[in-house]
Amino acid sequence: MNKKLNYSVPDGYFENLKGRLRSIADTQQEAPSRLQRFTPYLALAACFAIAVLAGSLILKRTAVPAASDEEIIEYLIDSDMTLAQIEDYLTLNE
Amino acid sequence: MENREFNNLVEQYSEPLYWHIRSLVNSHEDTDDILQEVYMKVWKALPSFRGESSVSTWLWRIATNEALSFLRKKKVRAALSFKSIDSEAERVIDGDPYFNGDAAQRKLAKAIAKLPDKQRAVFCMRYFEELGYEEISEITGTSAGALKASYHLAQEKVKKEIEA
Repeated sequence: MNKKLNYSVPDGYFENLKGRLRSIADTQQEAPSRLQRFTPYLALAACFAIAVLAGSLILKRTAVPAASDEEIIEYLIDSDMTLAQIEDYLTLNE
Repeated sequence: MENREFNNLVEQYSEPLYWHIRSLVNSHEDTDDILQEVYMKVWKALPSFRGESSVSTWLWRIATNEALSFLRKKKVRAALSFKSIDSEAERVIDGDPYFNGDAAQRKLAKAIAKLPDKQRAVFCMRYFEELGYEEISEITGTSAGALKASYHLAQEKVKKEIEA
């Protein structure tokens, strides 16, 4: 009891209080922080971002420009295709 | 190491800190809640405590700020529900099963509860805890001169309230 303040506390309060306060250290040590809880998700998001970035870079470097119609016709003429087959191709792609 | 330091702080300071907070907020339950919050903050801040002030000053600063923040929120809640904070404080003192004072002491407690929060903090640290102005200055960050003026003003208000 604090005489000047004229207040008292329930019996055994301070003994109990000290125990509860000491347990803060244990519970705070066990409880993962917010950052720790989100780390796996952040790692997953980072992996996904890296994969997308790497994929787009690889595609950009290895992609060959599409062939023009003339180049395709030249190729078909050079191949063993008949004229009728080449005409069919041109009709289909009109 | 940190665990042991923390436990020492609990062992050595939890009781005086309890009375410090209780003098500001009156209610035992509120004091209990605030003290838990204080020690949570102490635990988190302990690794960065560099000893620029004494441990007790550091603890009293955290506890005072926490109690003042609690009182500020309580005031806002009371205003939102159109209740008078003074009559709320009187109700707490009247209904407190752990108040052991007589009628005059109850009147004093109510008069102190009516002081503005910061002024009450200064008054309680000086009157109940008998801290020096320099010490209170380190805790509150207010100059010793301003604290003397604040304490004098608080004394006058309390006296007036008791005599009314």
